Amino acid sequence: MENLHYFGAALGLGGIVIGAGLGIGRLAAAAAEGIARQPEAADKITGAVNLPLFLLEGVAIIGEVFALVIVLMK
Amino acid sequence: MISGGEQTHDSSVVDQVGENIIHHVSNSDIQHPIVHLPHIFGIDMSVTKHVLMLWIVAVLVSVAIIIPIRKYLRQGKGQPSGLANGIESVVQFIRDSIVAPNVGPKWVNTWTPLILTFFFFILFSNAIGMVPIFDVLGVFNRFVLGVPSSDSHNFINGILHGGVTATGNFNVTAALATITFFTIIIAGTKAHGFIQHWKNLAPHGLAWPIYIILIPIEIIGMFVRPFALTMRLAANMTGGHIAILAILSFMAIFADIFQNVLIGVGMAVVSIPMAVAINGLEIIVVIVQAYVFTLLSAVFIGMAINVQH
Repeated sequence: MENLHYFGAALGLGGIVIGAGLGIGRLAAAAAEGIARQPEAADKITGAVNLPLFLLEGVAIIGEVFALVIVLMK
Repeated sequence: MISGGEQTHDSSVVDQVGENIIHHVSNSDIQHPIVHLPHIFGIDMSVTKHVLMLWIVAVLVSVAIIIPIRKYLRQGKGQPSGLANGIESVVQFIRDSIVAPNVGPKWVNTWTPLILTFFFFILFSNAIGMVPIFDVLGVFNRFVLGVPSSDSHNFINGILHGGVTATGNFNVTAALATITFFTIIIAGTKAHGFIQHWKNLAPHGLAWPIYIILIPIEIIGMFVRPFALTMRLAANMTGGHIAILAILSFMAIFADIFQNVLIGVGMAVVSIPMAVAINGLEIIVVIVQAYVFTLLSAVFIGMAINVQH
């Protein structure tokens, strides 16, 4: 029973990867679609996609830090 | 990988590997600092590895950025050439596509210098983590100087211990985010006045019960933003290094599991190309994280200046 925290951290990490992957995938798909429809707006679309992408990445990274904290601090 | 592998013979290889990885990304021990300095106000001011790296970064930024620009400014007007030309393109990119769209035309020249300082400092201290100077020194020490790793008072061991990326330390990024935190308040105060800045945190003209929920959320949000900046930068810089070291450690782990050196050597065929690929990814991450920190700082400063309602 004493190693259960590893299990929790691994499960959490998997959840984070699924969530972040889905989020980034949807963002990238929408951006690619938008640029394909309107190639002249590519700069604006990239600019609009950047900010939510980085906010999403921040949430995922914070989750990973907490998973690491679970492993290190028990 | 080289400097700290030999102290713990009693524990298993997997434990040693974990210790080694943590030792390679965390700061060096305050008990064995590189330069001993006295306590000031109860704080040990001794220089650890990350402080040394901050100093090296400061020197590098001065040499590579400040001196060429001063030289260019001294020679009067005209086309910049060489290094000054390259710096100019970066400066212009940051002013025109990071600061100007977020902060607005009125305050661009007020806040661009701060954002540029953030960018160059973070870029240099991220990038210096990718340069294996101290690992080369470790190899040199192992084969030529021969200082044993158990001798913790030796100067060479002092500079070998600890990680190289200063921005991989949460304290460094927390300090940077604290600057952003106060900059947001100062920017709002300069644009709208002190009282109006705090009023701007919540949109006005709503029914009063909404404010009971909204005002605490806005106050929490004020602290969450710099917290997210801190975590994002430090965790990104630490995470990549941990991944590289973990993949390289597969060689030791597999050799230990199968009790066979040849399997460990065979693992090198897999893990070294993977480590090289992650190194390539890390070079992108180094640039992107410097960009992200500056972009988000500019966005937050802009949110305090251009309040939407």
